[in-house]
Amino acid sequence: MPRIRVGTEDSIQPGAPALVRHGGVEVGVFQVDGEFRAYLNRCPHQQGPVCTGPTTGTLAAARATGWKLAWVLDGRVLLCPWHTMEFDLLTGQRIRGRGERLRAYPVEVSGGEVFVTIGRPQVEPSQGRQCVG
Amino acid sequence: MTLTHRQPLGLDDVVVVDCDVHVDDPPQALAPYVDMPWRRSLELLGRAPQRYLDIPGYAPTLNIDPPVPDRSVSTRSVHTARQMREELDELSVDLGVLFPDNLLRIAVFPQADYAAALGRAYNAWLADVWVQRERGLYGAVLAVPQDPRDAAAQIRRYGADDGFVGVYLPVAGLRPLWGERCYDPIFEAAEEMGLPVMLHSVGLIHPNFPFNLDHMTSRLVRHPIQHEFALMANLFTMIGSGVPVRYPDLDIVFTEGGVSWVPFVMWRLDKEFAENPTGAPLLERPPSSYVKQMYFCTQPVEEPERPRDLAAMIDLFDGRAQVLFASDWPHHDFDHPRKVLHMPFDADLKRKIMGENALRLLKLPAPVPV
Repeated sequence: MPRIRVGTEDSIQPGAPALVRHGGVEVGVFQVDGEFRAYLNRCPHQQGPVCTGPTTGTLAAARATGWKLAWVLDGRVLLCPWHTMEFDLLTGQRIRGRGERLRAYPVEVSGGEVFVTIGRPQVEPSQGRQCVG
Repeated sequence: MTLTHRQPLGLDDVVVVDCDVHVDDPPQALAPYVDMPWRRSLELLGRAPQRYLDIPGYAPTLNIDPPVPDRSVSTRSVHTARQMREELDELSVDLGVLFPDNLLRIAVFPQADYAAALGRAYNAWLADVWVQRERGLYGAVLAVPQDPRDAAAQIRRYGADDGFVGVYLPVAGLRPLWGERCYDPIFEAAEEMGLPVMLHSVGLIHPNFPFNLDHMTSRLVRHPIQHEFALMANLFTMIGSGVPVRYPDLDIVFTEGGVSWVPFVMWRLDKEFAENPTGAPLLERPPSSYVKQMYFCTQPVEEPERPRDLAAMIDLFDGRAQVLFASDWPHHDFDHPRKVLHMPFDADLKRKIMGENALRLLKLPAPVPV
């Protein structure tokens, strides 16, 4: 399976993913809290270019705080630019979804360089319980 | 190419007619097409700072939500016919029916003269700049509700142009609703010209129907009321005043409300009619029989957990010949044609929804494959 050099560790900053292409497959490589993740640039919802969306947070509330709204997961939420569907960049899972998740690829750091292996996905994609294109 | 039942239909295998795409219609673009004093008004508006679909005096609404970080990503606009064609090609759309952006809110203006002038300008500008049959871009004549006689004249004028295939009836902020007899000149003209009327709503907070939205805390809860509830209310009034009876050759299309509310409307009206037929004395049959002859656009297409439920829903209103694909491109909630094509419909239904129903309704020839 092809192992692609993405760039130096420093070149991939939070909120500024690198897009790499191999054989018609485009993958976004993200840094989140010092960890790297790589996802197919295709949203499981309507196949939008999910990796080109902003990295941000989301609003949530919990019983423990009396349902007070809180801005959470800042820097960890990827928004698809088409319909603003939210994904957790650390897990690839849609936040509060039906089990949808981004297709993930293995990433490794070696000698200060980031590599992604584009081939068989590390995690099979899931469209959750929806039937989508 | 011969398809076997094992090969799913692709977008290249079907004609895709998109019954709802939107053109950017800034005031400065329409200014040359409008009479004084409104020309000067639009020129002034054109020089003022503009926000997306939020221009006082032109696309008015009450924006009460605070911005949420990074959620303002979906403000796409299409500025030229060439751009529209290129983007529809990207979406595999063969033919598109054009609706406005800002003038989706035209029904709210209390000044009938201004509204009618805007309507005339929009239609002239659309004919001049946007409607291009060779590019598969077709127009819907904007019928200004504030001046039904002027709207009827516009329908007769542009309806004679093969590039116009429908009549756009604004819904957001409308008063009174489309069933009122004051709109009869519009329905009469549309029927005479053989053009379907296409009701289209938009997100709007305004004292007219659907009102009381100002206390709703987010677009999530407001949006379905602005669209689906507004379409339902108009359908109810049209049934009540017997529009389908008085204009039996008029086709009625509901845009941007999906389809899942249709069975509710049919059954609820039939129930009411059984008990109170004098409430709609013009009807010759139960209301559902008229609703089944109306047309419903897919966008925003329902995404049920069990997608087959959507196919069942369409069967509930005998909708195989009545459902039309629409994307709503380039708006934030657009549907890619793939989304609808990949629903678990049989191949015949897919072809009908994606294009064949619209070709029949809009009296358009199938596009020649390139």
